[in-house]
Amino acid sequence: MQSHPTHPEEGGPVGPPSGATPEARRGLSRRNLLATLGVTAAGGALALVSFQDDAQAAMTPAMTAMATKAKASAHAWCMVIDLRTCDGCKGCTMACQQRHGLRDEQTWINVYEMKDAAGGTFNMPRPCMMCEDAPCMYICPVGANVRTDDGLVLVDTEACIGSRACMAACPYEARYFNWTDPLPQKRMPAPSTPQMPVPEKGVVGKCVFCADRLPQGELPACVSGCPMGVLFIGDLVTDIAVNGMGKTVVLSEFLRANDAVRFKEELGTNPRVYYILGHGQNLGG
Amino acid sequence: MTTEALTTNAREASLRPFGKPSRLWWLTVIALGLVVLTGIAAWVIQLRGGMGVAGYSDQAFWAIYIADVVTFIGVSYGGAVVSAILRLTGATWRAPLTRLAEGTAVVTVLIGAALIIPHIGNPIRLWELVTRPNLSAPVFWDFVAVMTYTFGSIVFFALPLVPDMAVLGQEHGQQLGRRRTTLYARVSRGWVGAPRQRRVLAGALGLVSIMIIPLAVSVHSVLAWAFASTARPWWHESIWAPQFVVAALYSGVALVILVVAGFRRGYHLEGLITPRHFVRLGFIMATLSATYIYLTFADLLPGSYVGDRGTAAVFTELLVGRLAIWFWMFAIVGGVLPLLLVALPWTRNVGGMVTAAILVVPMMWLKRILMVVGPASYDTVTGVFGRYHPTWVPIAITLAATAAIPLMLMLLFRVVPLLSIDEIEEIEEMQELSDLEKNATARPQTAPSEPAANDDRLVGASDKAHRVAGATGVLLLVALMGMLGIGSAHPAQAATSPSAPAVTLTGVEAGGSVQLTATLTSPQGRPLPAAEVAFLLSTTEFGTPARLVRLGSATTDKTGIARLKYAPKVTGQQGFAATYTAVGAKPITSGTTVAVTVARSLYHPAPAKPLASVGNVLVLALFAIVAAIWLTLVAQIWRVRRVCRVVQQATVGSA
Repeated sequence: MQSHPTHPEEGGPVGPPSGATPEARRGLSRRNLLATLGVTAAGGALALVSFQDDAQAAMTPAMTAMATKAKASAHAWCMVIDLRTCDGCKGCTMACQQRHGLRDEQTWINVYEMKDAAGGTFNMPRPCMMCEDAPCMYICPVGANVRTDDGLVLVDTEACIGSRACMAACPYEARYFNWTDPLPQKRMPAPSTPQMPVPEKGVVGKCVFCADRLPQGELPACVSGCPMGVLFIGDLVTDIAVNGMGKTVVLSEFLRANDAVRFKEELGTNPRVYYILGHGQNLGG
Repeated sequence: MTTEALTTNAREASLRPFGKPSRLWWLTVIALGLVVLTGIAAWVIQLRGGMGVAGYSDQAFWAIYIADVVTFIGVSYGGAVVSAILRLTGATWRAPLTRLAEGTAVVTVLIGAALIIPHIGNPIRLWELVTRPNLSAPVFWDFVAVMTYTFGSIVFFALPLVPDMAVLGQEHGQQLGRRRTTLYARVSRGWVGAPRQRRVLAGALGLVSIMIIPLAVSVHSVLAWAFASTARPWWHESIWAPQFVVAALYSGVALVILVVAGFRRGYHLEGLITPRHFVRLGFIMATLSATYIYLTFADLLPGSYVGDRGTAAVFTELLVGRLAIWFWMFAIVGGVLPLLLVALPWTRNVGGMVTAAILVVPMMWLKRILMVVGPASYDTVTGVFGRYHPTWVPIAITLAATAAIPLMLMLLFRVVPLLSIDEIEEIEEMQELSDLEKNATARPQTAPSEPAANDDRLVGASDKAHRVAGATGVLLLVALMGMLGIGSAHPAQAATSPSAPAVTLTGVEAGGSVQLTATLTSPQGRPLPAAEVAFLLSTTEFGTPARLVRLGSATTDKTGIARLKYAPKVTGQQGFAATYTAVGAKPITSGTTVAVTVARSLYHPAPAKPLASVGNVLVLALFAIVAAIWLTLVAQIWRVRRVCRVVQQATVGSA
């Protein structure tokens, strides 16, 4: 059972004192002025106090999410990407685009070609990093990014105003905008949800880890679409990760044994995507 | 020129735009109106087709519109400088310029704010900035700052209208026409020019001019922080806020020169606005030009010197790469040339100043485009620049916004007086008094057009040539890896056993961990020592059938028992299995279920950033400040209205 978060009890509407004195309308004495200013100040203070809750809710999404998550959340979804076996086939990208009805250039999971230390190249799939301290959450002017209890950063496309501030803020270039009308959509659930957004002109989109599938015990489209078993979906709470080839591992040991790293660790975003590098490979940034 | 003559001149000049408009006026208004309509049509097309029709893409997600917003809100700073700073410093020569400057400020800030609409992908939802603001977002505070500054600019523009409208309404009513007379009577109701009224108005204006300066600074600072609060190269710079503010002042003064020149010529105000005014504005502009060149240099030098991967790439593109031609065009045409035009004595005249201003305004727009497009089109993962090709749509919208400035000003000054009559009269009176007092002493400025001395030192700043070395040493951190997988490869051997052994698994929770015990017996029922048993955890988290996670393995002892201690991560019923694979045989497995009551997940959420709580306090402080500003601004209007009413009643009572 989930306990309801306690809301501060909201009192009745604080209206202006009824029956404004007619004297006040005539000569405004100094005392009246002071009283008026006092009432205004009190109103301002009330407004401020009522904003304070908003402020706390909006200012520290990480903190509030953490406070609840520490007790409540049953999962902490993450991804492990084993670059040693990625051959750059882009099967993940195609599976994702098909599932989410995306245009070719909207690569929610994008496979970058990177240079390794020996001068060769390697392939690096990049989904949303699902940062625990996500820059996009801070920067969105209307708070259209939501973070689920399970740690998934999702876009509320019903709220997005299309300011693209998140695109500027994302250090991983993981966000894609619907610059024109989306492709004709087939087999989409009628209402768009943050977990399964339906593309819509003028709003931003990004990888959602197939958040609608995870609670059902299904794998994200990219994970099951990877023929090499590169992509693992994992849960930091239960400490288990699986890939599309049926491999199941103890997450913490898998990460430790393979010296997993996170992309742009130095930014302090605490991404939830771990990379296992092959010899000479580095994420360089 | 006597006071009376100048005053009459100022009043008469202010009435000029109210006459029957000339053919030229109509032609100009129609032409500008057509440009504005084209822009609106372009915006409608963009609404229907999406922002893609404006040339935007994921590689250039911010471009021309945000540069327009910065530019147009920036040029409104001219009003703040010329009016507020000059008022506070007691520069009396400002008087004939203030109304034009303040009008320009109001008009351009409104256009700049409106340009946010085409910049937004979903403008119909802009109201969400009010209904569901994210208080940690710079763009939200942009919105607050722009709204507050707009309101401040309007108050700053409107308050001095009270005495002017009173004078014109009472003494020149027949020239005003019916509608203006009604409006003027309403605005100036109660104003009789009593000393107490003058004192209150001067106090209110003094306060608002003090307030308008930090307000203007705040707007461009927050606009800069919308860029600087991201981890993008060049945007993420501490110098951006002050640089934005200086850029705004610089282009703002240039626009004031252009507006003043336009109205001076259109309404023949040469008697009131002299070349001296242009030269003085030019000096302000040159100071700001030198400051801006300095700040640009300071912005680019450290990044080029250290050569972080992203910053080096962006600066290379800017200084010697694809954007170099535009950058150096800005540096020379928008920075050095205006400075020279002011510095050289033979171009230090109306024509020279107007030419300089004509160069500055579009070049500052160009600089903003470079500042936006360079980092926005840089892919911070691959280090490759995307392409941005603006289509006719954003160009039409930008031209429309540009045309809207003169159009709105021409319409505005059909309604309100072109000159700040009261200010001119007051200053003239003051000067007359001081002339009487200091009759014997020589005044420092006798000839109006005399060029001020010592201004040649301004040239010193112009030789700051940018000699930024493209230091592009990329620091690569090589992480050496190469690890064995945890998959266990059982050695394959030839021998086979005739009958399968048996394994039984028991699990007991004790002391926060699960003790798994597997007993291995041979087909003959004897304990099987020195055999490796694998322990597995069963999970249905990723679907059914259950998946088995290998927890580890242990070797059986002499009694055929293998043990593994497992620290459970979640509570509840959990399935475990033990597997033994005899050489050449099928694996044998035994399962058990343990009711786990004590579990400890290895996962710890990342700690909150230490400054997050400071941010909360900052938000509250900002709201308090914004509320105080709005209340103070409203109070100034209320104060002036009240003194009008009170003094009028006193006058009526005594009469």
